[in-house]
Amino acid sequence: MLQLIADGLVVGSVIALGAVGLTLTYSILRFANFGQGEFMTWGAYLAVSALAVVLAATGAGVMEPLGPFSFGWQLIVAMILAAALTAVLALLVDWLLFRRLRRGNAITLVIASFGAALALRNLVQFLYGTLPEYYTREIQIAIRLVPRDVLGGLRITPDQMLVIGLTLVLMLALQGLLTRTTLGRAMRATAQNPALARVAGVDVEGVIRATWVIGAALAAVAGVLAGVVGQVRPGLGFELLLPLFAAAILGGIGSVRGAVVGGYIVGLAESLSVPLVGAEYRAATAFVVLIGILLLRPTGLFGERA
Amino acid sequence: MTPALELDAIEGGYEPGLPILRGASVSVAPGEIVALLGPNGAGKSTLVKAAAGLVPIWSGRVRLAGRDITGLPAHRMVHEGLGFVPQTENVFANLSVLENLQLAAALIARQRRGSLEKMFSLFPDLDRQRKLPAGRLSGGQRQMLAVARALVASPSVLMLDEPSAGLSPKLVGVVFERLRAVRDTGVTILLVEQNVKAALALADRAVVLVEGRERLEGAARDLADDPRMAALYLGHAA
Ligand SMILES: Nc1ncnc2c1ncn2[C@@H]1O[C@H](COP(=O)(O)OP(=O)(O)O)[C@@H](O)[C@H]1O
Ligand SMILES: [Mg+2]
Repeated sequence: MLQLIADGLVVGSVIALGAVGLTLTYSILRFANFGQGEFMTWGAYLAVSALAVVLAATGAGVMEPLGPFSFGWQLIVAMILAAALTAVLALLVDWLLFRRLRRGNAITLVIASFGAALALRNLVQFLYGTLPEYYTREIQIAIRLVPRDVLGGLRITPDQMLVIGLTLVLMLALQGLLTRTTLGRAMRATAQNPALARVAGVDVEGVIRATWVIGAALAAVAGVLAGVVGQVRPGLGFELLLPLFAAAILGGIGSVRGAVVGGYIVGLAESLSVPLVGAEYRAATAFVVLIGILLLRPTGLFGERA
Repeated sequence: MTPALELDAIEGGYEPGLPILRGASVSVAPGEIVALLGPNGAGKSTLVKAAAGLVPIWSGRVRLAGRDITGLPAHRMVHEGLGFVPQTENVFANLSVLENLQLAAALIARQRRGSLEKMFSLFPDLDRQRKLPAGRLSGGQRQMLAVARALVASPSVLMLDEPSAGLSPKLVGVVFERLRAVRDTGVTILLVEQNVKAALALADRAVVLVEGRERLEGAARDLADDPRMAALYLGHAA
């Protein structure tokens, strides 16, 4: 039981990080970006490349693990580089594609994002191949936090704890940005009323760029974390796309808090359902939860618009 | 004297080929309050939105103290000194009263920025509600916040679209009295209004817009009982 909860929190962290970007771009740009999952994949792979570059540049060949973790400081640098590069990728896609379609309707943008997702996924396979990659081959010993006779016990690796911890730190930082900075207030203002935001002096195109940067960077971090606790595969983001949507929608699309809570609910639902329905139906449980919550609260948990 | 705001033969509209503004001209002298009147659908809102950069202008010029600002993006207009208070949804409902003003202040260069404390002393009602989400303000307070939000950027000219809409007669009096105080601080005002009587009592001059063109203008006091006013309104009510 405890073990399943811990596993759910790890998966939920990755989903939450991805879903926040999805909900941000939805609220500012007003369309559901089906390319969000691919930003996770790209982040994970760009970190593979960045790691190779950092290791080569420092002449270190292999990574010396950092404390109890399976990876060294080089991966942290690689993750930051990957987040920056993924942000640039998102800006590039926006500039090439979405910018031209903004005056049209949302369906056009959604379909364009399907196309972008497909292109990005194929490009990743072309560049990196289809075999899984790993940041490190280091084997980690899980720490036993709770003995086996208490609720089934709990063992967790330091990497998994880091995934949960880093997610919470990033979400608090994002919350601070949204509530305490001018950029954050401008983002909330634009989400609510773009015309009034412009009249109040907000450069809406600037806010849109900032939104892509934040959403894509968080997706990249999510991709790297998914790679740290699993493998880096071309399908990494695509397989998480439906859970991302489920999380964003059940939290109330447009709500950052909702996307985080939704991410953890979906992660926990998937994990806890495994002993009940078996691993093969794990992905479906997110949707059962989603439908259940939408029946009770059609706008999602934190949704505002009626 | 150079007008503080000059809308010169503006043509424009929401969709190409469907002109709403058909050569509208309005000029406001420094320190003046001009009422922009006219029947429903005349294009009053469209004209001020076009001046604010929210509706495309096809031809004609917008000049602020003689400077041509036609076609600047809306968020640049604020920096030029042209403020605008839209008719509806004119505050950020999810942001607190304070955040509404902080946002407007932060976006403007320091030397232009008015102090928030000055705003709160001009609108004491808002002072007591700083932390409240703007969406929970009463209609009158919300209108005050919308005006305060625009004033934080220290505009030289302020355009307001029907600030009296939806307010009780008593509240209209309170809001208009504040607008007079705003003008007395040196801000020039262009006021779109349906409430002809209240607007003419406040304004120095008035312009009547019909079908996207100005049809009548004069001193507010003269227009109040000008029979042509009624004709223009009635002629298009049918
Ligand atoms: N967003 C819009 N899109 C298309 N047409 C509009 C829009 N807003 C107003 N109109 C049209 O423009 C004309 C003038 O409207 P408006 O400027 O609101 O008039 P007024 O403020 O004088 O009542 C009307 O015929 C109206 O239907
Ligand atoms: Mg109007």
